Amino acid sequence: MNWIRKELWSPYAAGVMLGLVGIATVVFANTLLGASGGFENIAGMLGKAIAPAAFNNTYFNFVMPAQVTYAVILLIGIFFGGTLGALSSRTFKIRTMDDEQWKQAYGPQRWKRWLLLFVGAIILEFAAGIAGGCTSGLAISGGMLLAPAAFLFIAGMFASGILTAKVIYGKRY
Amino acid sequence: MTGFILPLLLGLFFGFALNKAGLTRYSKIVNVFRLTDMAVLKFMMTALVVTMIGVYPLRMLGIITFPTVPSTYIVGNLVGGLIFGVGMALAGFCPGTMAAGAGEGKLDYLIPGLLGFLTGAALFGLTYDTVFPPISKLLNYGSTVIPDLWNVNAILVVFVFALMALVLFYLIDRMGWQRQQKKLD
Repeated sequence: MNWIRKELWSPYAAGVMLGLVGIATVVFANTLLGASGGFENIAGMLGKAIAPAAFNNTYFNFVMPAQVTYAVILLIGIFFGGTLGALSSRTFKIRTMDDEQWKQAYGPQRWKRWLLLFVGAIILEFAAGIAGGCTSGLAISGGMLLAPAAFLFIAGMFASGILTAKVIYGKRY
Repeated sequence: MTGFILPLLLGLFFGFALNKAGLTRYSKIVNVFRLTDMAVLKFMMTALVVTMIGVYPLRMLGIITFPTVPSTYIVGNLVGGLIFGVGMALAGFCPGTMAAGAGEGKLDYLIPGLLGFLTGAALFGLTYDTVFPPISKLLNYGSTVIPDLWNVNAILVVFVFALMALVLFYLIDRMGWQRQQKKLD
């Protein structure tokens, strides 16, 4: 059982595991994996508690209803899946910024990382809304069923991702 | 209550796989865009191939029907992907890996990350009526998959896709289709 304690698996092995999860999702739950949708449901619930009038619209009533959906439970599962993975390799640790490469790219300031993660997350979630899903709900879930939408999304994501990394890393790209 | 168990289990395995593939790290995500570490691509492509090999034969035998497939509306899928890539290369996470990374004890994922996703979700939901319908109407093919849309044999499409993935893996692992990482200090 040493393999389960390893911090990193071959991406192929981890990919096979995700592929099997994908099959189980389609066959047993007759639905798809996803992550960004769950955040929409949670935002709707919080929004309706804080500003009920503003959040009483088509989107939060019908498109992405403000309630505990399948996607929200899935999101909680993903969170604890990360915990189990980290515990299995004894790498679970409460930390506020730990990536060496981040410090080399942006500098060691914690506020800068927290600010960029906040801004980045807003961009990601809004973009997922426009595209019809994120890496999980569209690229992986759509791609595994051969939906053209997924491959358009992946093409766009890699094109701008490569360009953005080039701009950020400059001569060090 | 039993309705909660299945998504919870599926999520657990999903998050576990993200952790083991190393996708809950900034470096893994940004380095696929620097083309210096292709783990993200290998992980995704492997998962796609495994699932399509599993589900398409079952569908053709009439044992299962597909759930609602993500809709294809060319402009929106592409533009959304283009904006998404900027955020992903900037922050080094995406909604799924943020959730798994937060579970590993990363407070930078949990606090600014979660707040950002919720803020983005609220912004999208509140502007949905003006932003979404015009984009989703352009070149909309609806909820469809390539074998149905092009009317080609699904097994053939799956076979070609799997072959393309294997060629890609061969080029990356054996033919050196990967850039050397530059020193960053």
